[in-house]
Amino acid sequence: MTIHGLWVISKAGGLVFSRSYSDVLPPQPVNTILTLAGILHGIHAITAKLDPAPIPGTPTGGLESFEAEGWGGKVFLTPTGTKFVVLHSLPQSGLEELMRRIYEIYSDAVMKNPFHTPEMPINSALFDTKLQTLMSSMNA
Amino acid sequence: MTIYSLYIFDRHCDCVYYQDWHRTSPIRSPPITNFKPGVHRLQPPLSLNQLNDNQNIHVRESIFSENNNVINRTSLVSNGTSIDQNQNTKQNKLSLPKGLPFDEESKLVYGVILSLRNMVKKLSGREEAFTSYSTSSYKLHLFETPTNYRFVLLSDPSSDSLRFVLRQLYVGPFLEFVIRNPLINVDSRTEGIDNDQFRAAVDRHVKGLSMFS
Repeated sequence: MTIHGLWVISKAGGLVFSRSYSDVLPPQPVNTILTLAGILHGIHAITAKLDPAPIPGTPTGGLESFEAEGWGGKVFLTPTGTKFVVLHSLPQSGLEELMRRIYEIYSDAVMKNPFHTPEMPINSALFDTKLQTLMSSMNA
Repeated sequence: MTIYSLYIFDRHCDCVYYQDWHRTSPIRSPPITNFKPGVHRLQPPLSLNQLNDNQNIHVRESIFSENNNVINRTSLVSNGTSIDQNQNTKQNKLSLPKGLPFDEESKLVYGVILSLRNMVKKLSGREEAFTSYSTSSYKLHLFETPTNYRFVLLSDPSSDSLRFVLRQLYVGPFLEFVIRNPLINVDSRTEGIDNDQFRAAVDRHVKGLSMFS
């Protein structure tokens, strides 16, 4: 499995972080990714409404993953509403574990940083390098 | 493993066919103004039932139904108040209908498909559509034909790709009972493609699948 990229979307639907880790998918301008992240945020809300068999009393979840020809995406929603989107190759395995690792790195390098403003773009060299190591170990 | 529902959209982005199996979430019939015959077999709206009883006005459920009368809009308007009152009392006795009206739901489904499709196309830079997406409670499979029909199937999230089923439905019942059926106006924007043979063939095919239970 190859990881093509990672986006972090704030609870308001704004893109706060995006990196590409492979050259399989063509590089996109930041503005395009910004738009796509917003669209994904909307899709996430609508897909929860389309649930054909909801269990009464439990909240319905939105989009978790999507698949195209040869690649796909995985969405991880944290309890606070932040979304992590990983673009990966198919077939995939161990994505859950990877998502937890990314969340852990995010908590350590971003949320514990006293100079970070919530909901604002992430400018953390520590976050970036830690992710880079994780992704190169995945893509190796 | 379960199959929940099937939608077919035509190149005008309209839903032309709907069928469901193990769906538990409620769905309402669309309001009388957006009622399109030949798409689904949901109960006609309450006001329609009453109109049928009281004034002998019929709306065709299927395009092959015998009654070809068109809804009389003027009588609807002039009797609007009394119908509303009737409806309120009847609804209080029964339970209030829940869920989205069918027309709004089909628009949501199409909207999600269109946006996700565009996103995938932009990200990969190729002419490709997404094949499926899943949430914690269901999985949606998409199959597109070269003529821009879009077949959409909702199943439970653990199932494998069911696009082959949609393809089978397309080359089997759809070609046989819709495209080769001279009585169906396939490019009509006012009617769906529903007919008894097609519905029965789809039902048979889906119920015969190993993942249907």
